[in-house]
Amino acid sequence: MAEFAVVEPGSVAEVLDLLARYGEEAKLVAGGTWVTLVLRQGLLWPSLLVSLRRVSELAGIAVDEAGNLRLGAMARLRSVETLPLVRERLPVVAETCRQVANVRVRHQATVGGNLCDADYASDPPALLAALGARVVAVSQRGRREIAARDFIVGHYQTVLEPDELVTEVVVPALPPEVGAVYLKYRTRSHEDRPCLGVAAVVVPDRDGRLARAEVVVGAVAERPQRLPEVLEGVAGRALDDATIAEIAERYAAGIEPLSDLRGSAWYRTEMIRVFVERALRVARQRARWEGGRS
Amino acid sequence: MIDAVERVTGRIRFSQDASLPGMLHAAAVRSVVPHGRIARIDTAAALEVPGVVAVVTGEDLRRLPGLRPVYGPQIEDQPVVALDCVRYVGDIVALVAAETLQAAQEAAALVAVECEELPAVFDPLEALEPSAPLLHELEPERPHEGTALYFGIRPQFGTNCCNLFRIRRGDVARGFAEADLVIEETFRTPAIQHVAMEPHAALALWEDGRLTVWSGTQTPFNTRQILAEIFGLPVERVRVIVPPMGGSYGCKVFPRIEPQAALLAYVTGRPVKFVLRRDEEFVTLTRHATVVTIRLGLTRDGRITAKEVRAYWNTGAYADCGPDVARKGGFGIVGPYRIPHVAVDSRCVYTNLPPAGAFRGYAVTQAAWASESMMDIAADALGLDPLEFRLRNLLRDGETFATGETLHDVHFAECLERAAAAIGWEGPWRHELGDGRVRAKGLAVVLKGMTTPSRSEAKVGIDRSGRVTVYSSTVELGQGARTVLAQLAAEALGVPYQEIRVVDPDTARTPFDNRTTSSRSTYMMGNAVRQAALALRERLLRIAAERLEVEQADLELMDGSVRVAGAPASALKFGELVEASRQEALVEHGEFRNQGGLDPDTGQGIASSHWHQGAGAVEVEVDTRTGKVTILHAHASVYAGQVVNRHTAELQNLGNIVFGLGSALFEELVYEQGQLVNPNLSDYLIPSFLDLPERMTHDLVERPGAEIHGLGETALPTIPAAVGNAVARAIGARVTELPLTPERVLRAIRARGGERG
Ligand SMILES: Cc1cc2nc3c(=O)[nH]c(=O)nc-3n(C[C@H](O)[C@H](O)[C@H](O)COP(=O)(O)OP(=O)(O)OC[C@H]3O[C@@H](n4cnc5c(N)ncnc54)[C@H](O)[C@@H]3O)c2cc1C
Repeated sequence: MAEFAVVEPGSVAEVLDLLARYGEEAKLVAGGTWVTLVLRQGLLWPSLLVSLRRVSELAGIAVDEAGNLRLGAMARLRSVETLPLVRERLPVVAETCRQVANVRVRHQATVGGNLCDADYASDPPALLAALGARVVAVSQRGRREIAARDFIVGHYQTVLEPDELVTEVVVPALPPEVGAVYLKYRTRSHEDRPCLGVAAVVVPDRDGRLARAEVVVGAVAERPQRLPEVLEGVAGRALDDATIAEIAERYAAGIEPLSDLRGSAWYRTEMIRVFVERALRVARQRARWEGGRS
Repeated sequence: MIDAVERVTGRIRFSQDASLPGMLHAAAVRSVVPHGRIARIDTAAALEVPGVVAVVTGEDLRRLPGLRPVYGPQIEDQPVVALDCVRYVGDIVALVAAETLQAAQEAAALVAVECEELPAVFDPLEALEPSAPLLHELEPERPHEGTALYFGIRPQFGTNCCNLFRIRRGDVARGFAEADLVIEETFRTPAIQHVAMEPHAALALWEDGRLTVWSGTQTPFNTRQILAEIFGLPVERVRVIVPPMGGSYGCKVFPRIEPQAALLAYVTGRPVKFVLRRDEEFVTLTRHATVVTIRLGLTRDGRITAKEVRAYWNTGAYADCGPDVARKGGFGIVGPYRIPHVAVDSRCVYTNLPPAGAFRGYAVTQAAWASESMMDIAADALGLDPLEFRLRNLLRDGETFATGETLHDVHFAECLERAAAAIGWEGPWRHELGDGRVRAKGLAVVLKGMTTPSRSEAKVGIDRSGRVTVYSSTVELGQGARTVLAQLAAEALGVPYQEIRVVDPDTARTPFDNRTTSSRSTYMMGNAVRQAALALRERLLRIAAERLEVEQADLELMDGSVRVAGAPASALKFGELVEASRQEALVEHGEFRNQGGLDPDTGQGIASSHWHQGAGAVEVEVDTRTGKVTILHAHASVYAGQVVNRHTAELQNLGNIVFGLGSALFEELVYEQGQLVNPNLSDYLIPSFLDLPERMTHDLVERPGAEIHGLGETALPTIPAAVGNAVARAIGARVTELPLTPERVLRAIRARGGERG
């Protein structure tokens, strides 16, 4: 392992100051579950580790006046999974976090760390993208909000600048008629990362048609996959089995998956078809659908 | 377990915890090419690192006088540090000793190694092609010098085959001619890793020309012998002490890092500790990958007329105990069946991959995967119930196995019938739940030999305080050996087993034992301990009879004393009897041997002095749209003869089921051009609690008056085979290669023309 210093600042302002001064020489540590691995493998050589452990303003989980769920960057996945507030307001968020890794990792890993390590085989990023969540990033230069779906840009790459800190993730409230689900599919142990994960959100209109659908497939390519042309094409249609099958087919055809030990590209294509369909069926069932279910 | 409290409170000092003042830490420089000739090693930068005391290369090793630089338990083919060649990605090219682990690892990273790459070979069949690069030049004059050889070995000189074991029984040509039906199939298994929680750890100390090594090893005496040979010492000057281990499952059978730690200690004159990192564990020892082709001759009424087997065991760059794995697998693969004509060619083959060796199940998991899958294929071809087909052919008491030996105390049918009943075999073997989900059941039955010939010795003593001590070289690796041996001594001496002290194996203090392997310890060492304890009992009775002036027959042992039966007032405490004998302690010795051996060219003889017998049965659910297999119920029935400790015996059965399901469903080491792709626990998964079947049941089959039968491994090999058979039944197609990943299962479904999206 490299030689480095460790600091534990107590406020966001101090963190931003350190980032501004050290730039790429500094590495933020949230839960440390990813940072520790890459340090040990010698893939990272920072001179300064900046622990966020003591920055209590980052750890909150709350609902604001507008009904948005605000997840602090340092909120542990296990807290998101178990907190009654989250389970009541956005059960799909708790449900997704519960499926990450294993309970030991979830006690340690954080919302911010999970998004920022930008591992292609993660679960929450696909869901957050499908829910239209926004990532709040701050630096001494100012504050910006980034759509979760634009946040990860490639393998282990985000849009963050070296001096930026993610402070929270804002998840908009879901109206009661909306159906949302995240299906994680593992091909090996139950503690494995996903072979693929599908987040699906369906919004019915007053006539029982599909006002809007969101489908994001995670862990099949370097970043979560969303096919706008498919989603735009189905708006206004009945969410029947034929529509679901069509969306699934077009996602399977439209994504060029990678191969890894959890499944070859061929297999992933097959599974995109199966799980997009299954996810949409569950989402439809969860939505307060008024007719249109032929 | 007698050490349960120590265990859960973290007070057990494992091998990894061993330390000495002034101790140095070791790190290894490892090859990054699968096969190459070492051109140059530059250690200058490494030696500059503050705290580094020594960097040792093959050249240094060769310059040390009186050292034998190459070792191996069965074939001496493994250098302590690479001499001219590297043979796999992970081979040790140089060793570093430094004041801190960090300095050692930093220096290791700075050793520059230049290699001329040589052609490499990874597949055992390709490795046997005439054009394949040779890994070793085995010579007929010194083909096999290993000290752990207790059987004949037949390398095929000039090839990469380091052992060819054969069985020739009857005449297979005739057997196939008599058959109504002949079927043939090829099966594969991948390399997998043991993933013991505690890694390999050893600490070596030289004092006055004597070597002491503390090491987590299942083989203290083999390790002592091999270290003595490397350093040219009489065995009395080498001492191996074995603290309890945090698991092994075979990966700590035979020396693995002890020669390297001892070499660094020799060169530096300081104690040296060597602990492997997890990624190093993955390239240090694996389970043999296999390719097995079976031909079976069958009659319409469901008899097996002939079996022909060609088995290839990929042993990697060094033989380790691969020759014996090929031998034990060679007869294991015949299965517990009555077959008049048998021909087996079982080859252990070198390739440029990490060495493979002992692994819980020892060859039988791979053997059963092939042979028990084949039994189901045969039953299907004949239109017979797979249970009925097996029962017609299973060996019964007094029948002859393919090795020519007559089997006694035979319970294959009973185990199999119990397992089948446990999962409701009489019900439908397959049923569809709709939505592409199918449930189905599968069976497997195995036989597994125990190391034969072998020997275990023990001492049991009582001191003046009346304390009973068991001296045994059986290693505690979490299986509860200490507890079971204490129990057996306690039974003979009438003391609570919790009060018995069991001394950790120490070649200077505890008597000889072959090794803690092949599920032999409760039986072999158990008998030696029992014998010693009974001898001690006799002696106590004799002394007490003299003192109390009564007949020995009127005495009884109770609560640490001897008394006239029914007369507590007459009790003489053990300690008093020791004093009365004017000794510091009374110590008795016990010894237990088993005899046998096989002719390597015909496989005839005694393969095992008694047999481990077990059956497995599972019910699975297959999602035919994804290929994902879920095990709903797994059951193992294992012949135990006589159970010594029910709790630990049950844990062995359950642990074996868990191990088996990892092998069945997802464990696999993946190599790209010899480079391991998944040397960590994020990319190589083992079963977690959430992976366990909804129902996991088992039974221990006992018989009054029977011998103890080991059961540390028996259930394991049944599981992958039973799962494979259940999956084949569910999908109507056969996956011939482990593990049964969803992708393999889906491909098999598609190949059959089934289910799509
Ligand atoms: C064994 C194992 C299994 C796993 N399985 C899964 C799985 O199944 N599904 C899944 O989704 N994930 C999985 N993960 C990933 C895990 O959930 C964590 O997301 C991940 O390890 C990082 O979280 P962390 O809080 O520990 O981040 P850290 O390791 O502390 O940091 C990760 C990266 O994010 C940066 N960072 C952290 N916080 C901030 C911030 N506020 N602002 C800017 N940059 C920041 C760090 O500098 C670093 O580059 C697994 C991890 C492990 C170790």
